[in-house]
Amino acid sequence: MTDVVSVENLVIRYPARGLFTARPAPALRGVSLTVSSGETLGLVGESGSGKSSLLRAILGLIPAESGAIRILGQDWSQLDGAALRRARQAVGVVAQNPFLSLSPRLSVAEILAEPLLARGDAHDATLHDRCAALLARCGLPGDFLPRRARALSGGQAQRVAIARALALEPKLMVLDEPTSALDVSVQAQILNLLADLKAEMGLSMLFVTHNLKVVAHVADRLAVMRRGEIIETGTSADLIEHPQQDYTRDLLGFGLRRR
Amino acid sequence: MLDIAALSVTLPSKSGPIHVLRRIDLRLAKGEIHGMIGESGCGKTMTALTLLGLLPEGASVRAERFRFGTLDLSRHVASDLSALRGRRIALISQDPAAALNPVLTIGRQMDDVIRSHHGLAKGARRSMAVEILLATGLPEPEKLLKLYPHQLSGGMQQRVVIAQALATGADFLIADEPTTALDVTVGAQVLKLLRQLVETRGLTVLMITHDMDVVAASCDRATVLYAGISVEEGPVGRLLSAPRHPYTQALLAALPDAAPHGARLATVEGSIPPPTAALPGCAFAARCPFAMPVCASPPPLRQEAGHSWICHLEPT
Repeated sequence: MTDVVSVENLVIRYPARGLFTARPAPALRGVSLTVSSGETLGLVGESGSGKSSLLRAILGLIPAESGAIRILGQDWSQLDGAALRRARQAVGVVAQNPFLSLSPRLSVAEILAEPLLARGDAHDATLHDRCAALLARCGLPGDFLPRRARALSGGQAQRVAIARALALEPKLMVLDEPTSALDVSVQAQILNLLADLKAEMGLSMLFVTHNLKVVAHVADRLAVMRRGEIIETGTSADLIEHPQQDYTRDLLGFGLRRR
Repeated sequence: MLDIAALSVTLPSKSGPIHVLRRIDLRLAKGEIHGMIGESGCGKTMTALTLLGLLPEGASVRAERFRFGTLDLSRHVASDLSALRGRRIALISQDPAAALNPVLTIGRQMDDVIRSHHGLAKGARRSMAVEILLATGLPEPEKLLKLYPHQLSGGMQQRVVIAQALATGADFLIADEPTTALDVTVGAQVLKLLRQLVETRGLTVLMITHDMDVVAASCDRATVLYAGISVEEGPVGRLLSAPRHPYTQALLAALPDAAPHGARLATVEGSIPPPTAALPGCAFAARCPFAMPVCASPPPLRQEAGHSWICHLEPT
């Protein structure tokens, strides 16, 4: 089975803030991970643990100091221009806050059509139908197409964001805290939707969150990050039942000791 | 400490009255940490604003009973409560970075609070600030007084906010999602601190949250709100292990650790009724899996072993 994502010994260091200040410690200190085809990897860690840096590096938004990142076998740092844009179509991104990631001025139809038009699809009669199909796949009826994003509830807006990420039929979905801005009952709906999409489309997912319990429910494997390193990794069931690190236990142990 | 029965708050609007709170019942004993649970739009924040006397102009507030300590406020809820704000009641908000003034030192901000509430000479104010900062578990308070909020971590900022609340002399704290902006392990420490302060300083805390983990980890009792109505109240252990109201049951079933790994999570169909709607019967009936024709009439109050809820369903 080919790896959809493979990261080897990745080191990320941000530049110094001022001319005379020392360079900060590396944000990532040699991280390696893989996501295989059809697999969901949950990446858990608190703020400052390096999960956002890792995510940005995988998306090619920040340069690596050393190490390698390959998406579907391709090293993006070797690509540029049109080739990079084409390669990027294989990755769909869903951010934490749908109201920030969706333009409030565009209709849902325009939001969903944007990636298709950017790819060079013709602006023809089928476009509307394809947007409606994307929306239906994410559990919203076609009458949402003319609405503006700001008129949606949080759950509806996140469904639109997921539909947009699916527009170019990606192989990998990168989900950055996709449910942490949502209410518990809405979170359950979105987690169910992600499980359905994974089963139907064989998507690989990289699910990043600080909430270990949310990601443990949907992920096949988990990686716990702390201070720029992956400190523990394993299948979700194993890691939840037998956490090896105290830190992982801390993340798990808070709350839900239902007395 | 706090005893509220049938509190309603209505805001006027061009398209008719907005029922932001329909029927809130809330009782807190002194020294209790009481959770207020519910999803967006359920009335958690409006209840807090009511308690702080910060409702917008024109709000109509009614209550069958409204007692705070020995004070009976049921006649003039809104005006009387704003007089208590900062003296007896203080707020700890979700985002400590927003609660603190970014351009003033911690020392200056502590001093402002202490001066306006206690007067005192400069030296006495300073030692009081140091004492309170120490009580919130902040190391080296002397040094801290010279720092600005951005130089502190989120957890330390939240401790400073708690210190400010204590400095007012308030004995009733409203903590509005106090751990949401913090990392899980830091949040756990803040909850531990609140518990410790309840025990050492005799505080009473109303903990507003949507997070059942926070409730389980920190609260003695809790009230569940739905559409501006208190639907269930009880000791946290019973509430979480044997919820009686169908909404509470649905809320708990939707948690990711309620289902086996990878299994579908239970969801609640539909959405909460809009605050403009008139709700003569049970507010949850339209989404309830157990709804019956009788649910169109107001649900009766049911009680069992210190646990109460409103529902037409006969207890089993």
